[in-house]
Parts: sequence; structure tokens; C-alpha cells
Amino acid sequence: METKVLEIINDIRVAKSMNAVETLKETDNLRNDLGLTSFDLAELTVRIEDEFDIDIFEDGLVNTVGEIYAKLQK
Amino acid sequence: MNIIVTGCSRGVGLEICKVLLEQGNTVYGIARSYTDEFKALESEYEGKVFFKSVDLADCENVRQNVFKDFCGNKVKIDGYVNNAAMAYDDIVTNLNLDYLKAMYDVNVFTPMMMTKNVIRNMLLHKTKGAIVHISSISAHTGYKGLAMYASSKGALEAFSKDTAREWGPLGIRSNVVVPGFMATAMSSTLTDEQRGKIYARTSLKAATSIRSVAETVAFLLSEKAESITGQNIHVDNGTI
Repeated sequence: METKVLEIINDIRVAKSMNAVETLKETDNLRNDLGLTSFDLAELTVRIEDEFDIDIFEDGLVNTVGEIYAKLQK
Repeated sequence: MNIIVTGCSRGVGLEICKVLLEQGNTVYGIARSYTDEFKALESEYEGKVFFKSVDLADCENVRQNVFKDFCGNKVKIDGYVNNAAMAYDDIVTNLNLDYLKAMYDVNVFTPMMMTKNVIRNMLLHKTKGAIVHISSISAHTGYKGLAMYASSKGALEAFSKDTAREWGPLGIRSNVVVPGFMATAMSSTLTDEQRGKIYARTSLKAATSIRSVAETVAFLLSEKAESITGQNIHVDNGTI
């Protein structure tokens, strides 16, 4: 699951000419550390939903990688 | 193109499906009732038209009913036509909150949830898609008894304008077609006298052509309208 999330985040970063990251830390902030905009987060949400059938933004904002993992482990 | 059309079983929705199919598109029709007219389209355009009976008053289960059970992520959605609507006519002093909420479920809340999921599908497939809402001339020209109905259409028009602004950077367009009064089931309860008065307020002095409304919707969905977004296009015989 963590590998897939890394892959999706890197797809989005690379598409906007940012470098791929090698690893994700649970404390990484999606906006400030990983440089994702609200549109990027929307794409992240739909791609995670397509993969895991879970809408990570359904009940409030998600800020960090750790919060995504928590939603996917529920 | 793959297009979702709500309220496809009769009237304007059925005509929109016909025009889209004539132009070679694939139609995913949604309505409560599965009419003979729609079945006729299915036999004529086999494999290009699909139907699901959905109660569009159920705004809480749009994702499941439409985007999981019918038009899932495997389908790349290019367009969404929000045509299904219900009318609640009365004077304001008789306003019944339950009827009002029921109308908003169908006319406003479900279309908003549909739009949310359609845009999510477009994001997944990176589609520069188009959304068209069907409004009503009553939101622009006042009519006695239509204040509540018109308010629901006004809400849609505002929603469309801001959707256009928000998603324009990704090439997703949103427009509204504003039809004048048409001779459809929705206006069938009007008396001849009321109808005459309504038509007298138009420049062309007649009922709005359902075909003209449907052709405009198809145009807005097509690439021909690639530079049109955030607009309300009146197809109303010049209502004044």
C-alpha cells in the first residue's frame, strides 16, 4: 500500500516537472513538504480511490502522508 | 464521446439523447422510468446507449448508484448533462418545507454530487470534459407560482459558473442552457390561457423548440464549443 501511494505521489510530481522522491515519511506534509496543490490533492484522492476504493478526503482534510496511511488501514 | 444524461426517459432529456446518438456519441441514460421511447433508441443504436433506473431524489447514494453500479471508473466520461428536474409550483405564502427540500434534492443536491463524481472521473482519465446544466427561463423572468422552482435553477446557474472557474485550468468546461417554456410534461399542468400569456412574452410568440434546446446542449458538449465556459445560453424564443 505504501509503495502504491509513493508511486502515485511521484507520478503527480513528475507530471509537473518535480523530482520523484525516494521515500515518504509519515510526517511529510502533502502541501509543504511534497509540493502538492489542491488540484494535485484532488488527483491523488481519485487515484487512491480507484486503487483502494477509499475516499481519503470524504470526512475532512488530510494533511500528512501518515494520515493517508491511517485512512487506508481502517 | 461518452455522455451521461439524466432525465433521459422523455421530453428534453430524450431529445438530447437522440441528438447525441445521431452525432455518434455513446449515451449513459439515467431516469426513474424506463420508457418505450428510450427502449426504441436502444434498439436503434444498439451498444451505443445504456440505461439505469435511478431515483435522483436519493442524493446520498449518487456515488454508489451511478458511479459504481453503472458508470464506473472504467468508463471515461466526456460529458454530463444535468437535465432531470422536478417542478414544485405554488405561491410563496403556501411554501411547504418538505416539498421544497424534496425538489432541492432532485434539482440541486443530486446534480452537485453528480458533478463532483463526474469531475473526479475526468481527473482520473485526464479528460477535458464538459458539463451542461439545464436551467429555466423562470430564473431570469419572473412568473407567478415559480419562485421556489426558479430558485433551484438559480442555484444551479451559480454552481455552474463557479465550477467553470474552478476547473477551467484543467480544461473542464461547465455551461448552462436556459430554455424558454416548452410543451413538455413538466408544463402540462398549465391552462391554455396561462400558456398563451407565457408565449406572448417571447419575441417569436411560440413554445421553445425542444429540438433547438437539445442541439444547443450537444453543441456545448462538443469541441466546437471549446472556448465557451461559465455561460448561460438562452434558448427561449427571445423571452422578454
